[in-house]
Amino acid sequence: MYSVTRLLDVAEGASHRVLAAARAGAAATGARQQLVEPTLPGVRNGGDILVHLRFDTEDQWRSVETDFAATLTDPTITHVNGACYSGDASRTGAQAGTVYRALLLRVLPGTDTRIVARFEDELRLMPRYVNTIAAWQLSRVAEPVGTSEWTHVFEQEFSDVDGLMGAYLMHPIHWAVVDRWFDPECPDVIVRDRVCHSFCHCDTPVLG
Amino acid sequence: MSDATVYVVDRVVTRPGCARKFIDTYLAEYAPGARSRGMTLRDVLVSPPIWFDDQSNTLTITWSMPSAQAWWEMTWKGRPDPTLGPWWDTIGELVMERTRSVAAAADDVDRLCDV
Repeated sequence: MYSVTRLLDVAEGASHRVLAAARAGAAATGARQQLVEPTLPGVRNGGDILVHLRFDTEDQWRSVETDFAATLTDPTITHVNGACYSGDASRTGAQAGTVYRALLLRVLPGTDTRIVARFEDELRLMPRYVNTIAAWQLSRVAEPVGTSEWTHVFEQEFSDVDGLMGAYLMHPIHWAVVDRWFDPECPDVIVRDRVCHSFCHCDTPVLG
Repeated sequence: MSDATVYVVDRVVTRPGCARKFIDTYLAEYAPGARSRGMTLRDVLVSPPIWFDDQSNTLTITWSMPSAQAWWEMTWKGRPDPTLGPWWDTIGELVMERTRSVAAAADDVDRLCDV
């Protein structure tokens, strides 16, 4: 799979128009999965509209990339963060999620590859402990867009908003294990730039 | 989800002869801000309990918070502060190595994981 994620900051009052245009643009790409939704309260640096497209191959994306980019040139779109990346999702059970979440992050340049691998292994541990994650995917970014040179995207489908804001946040695997990589007070910190934490409703499975 | 005390533990191996200066600096410069973020200082332990002037000491400094939610609130107050991470760099000359870990009482582990 080849995925394209975009988080759109939109000027006040223009969200409906931009949402409609982005949905039309997404539909025209023919992507296998298309999600274009307003973000939900609680996002941090997560934009006003979340766009997520999944293609079978990168070539499919490249064939429509220019046309899709043209749909995001509305001047009321004030900023775009995002990424393109390859990878496959894992489902933890039969249940589909109702909330899609994407975390964009940048590991400090020059971080030892063994440290990066350990960080990634710990992120992959989270779905084992947080039972509100219905599906997930951890990807290295091929093409970052926006504020930072994003290196990773960590995506999940959650059972519902409480599954994200409650179980995911409050399980010790998060605050006592994984968070140290993001904590400037911890000597293990490797993510110093502000992350993008964005999520929205999804009516159908997005990952996989 | 139940509340249970969450502990933040700084373990610091000081450079030879620097333990007392580290503790004085930590308590004067770091502790007030930590308290304002909702952390309660429980212990500052020195091992071995001798103020060496030519050897390292291992310090174990333990803070507590009343819940995981309080831990998040502490981080949400601290993360936007651009001086907090660099503060640790300013005392780097007193430190050989350090870790920060998060812990809870054994009796609370199941409750904390039942989210």
